[in-house]
Amino acid sequence: MGCCWSLLCKDDNSSQNGEPNERTHLLVDPISNNIHIQRVSSENLLSRNSNDAPKKTDEQSALTRILQETATNVIDVAAIDSHNLQQQEYIERVKMYNIKINQVLAGNKGALANSLKSCLLEDVPQPEKILSGDLLNREDRHLMTSSLLAAVSAINDIRVDHKEDLVVPFGLGLNS
Amino acid sequence: MENNLDRVMEEICLDPAVLGCLFADQQGLCIGSKGQASNETSGYITAIANQVAKLEPNSKMPVVTLENENQICMIQKADTITGAIYKKL
Repeated sequence: MGCCWSLLCKDDNSSQNGEPNERTHLLVDPISNNIHIQRVSSENLLSRNSNDAPKKTDEQSALTRILQETATNVIDVAAIDSHNLQQQEYIERVKMYNIKINQVLAGNKGALANSLKSCLLEDVPQPEKILSGDLLNREDRHLMTSSLLAAVSAINDIRVDHKEDLVVPFGLGLNS
Repeated sequence: MENNLDRVMEEICLDPAVLGCLFADQQGLCIGSKGQASNETSGYITAIANQVAKLEPNSKMPVVTLENENQICMIQKADTITGAIYKKL
């Protein structure tokens, strides 16, 4: 339930005074946190070995550098004091997200309804079952083709029966 | 005028399994319908026939069947006329 869009969430996060919300990161930024921890340990290491011969200093600094580099690349999940979600909080968040979804849906009702309407055909769960079904039988096909041919010839026979004059003198009798 | 077409449609509906039939013109306008065939569907029927005809332009006009549990609708096109017959399964 962490925020995937973490790059853009940084500003929001800071404005919330550290209070956990739906944009709170589950894992705190590991690099910035770990550098601090490891730097302390590497300093300890240096001070402990400061009595050694000076020729070892180069070796030591190299080791320190390696340690530091490793430390920056490791995410110590256990060491990070992350905000653990409790069962109750999950339920609360589910409710909150549902409310937000409904708000968005209510706002864009027209647009969403249109996009849903365009899906005229629905998904078929087992297409092979339908595709392997029987073909149209011979009688039905014959019925269809013969009916259509008869209908086509009947439709081609349609003619306008000319019974009356196309132009009718209208209301002339009253004027005369 | 359209007596011939009426007669043809009556003959089609004589078959007890046939629920209805419909014929539409090139524009999808209903020329005639009989039985359980709504003339409002003539546009859809013509559109389906036209689309299916594009799948294999060089072969004969296919018979399209739309089927559910208890009904079947057969659609075929000939020249400018599209016909549909609804049948019980």
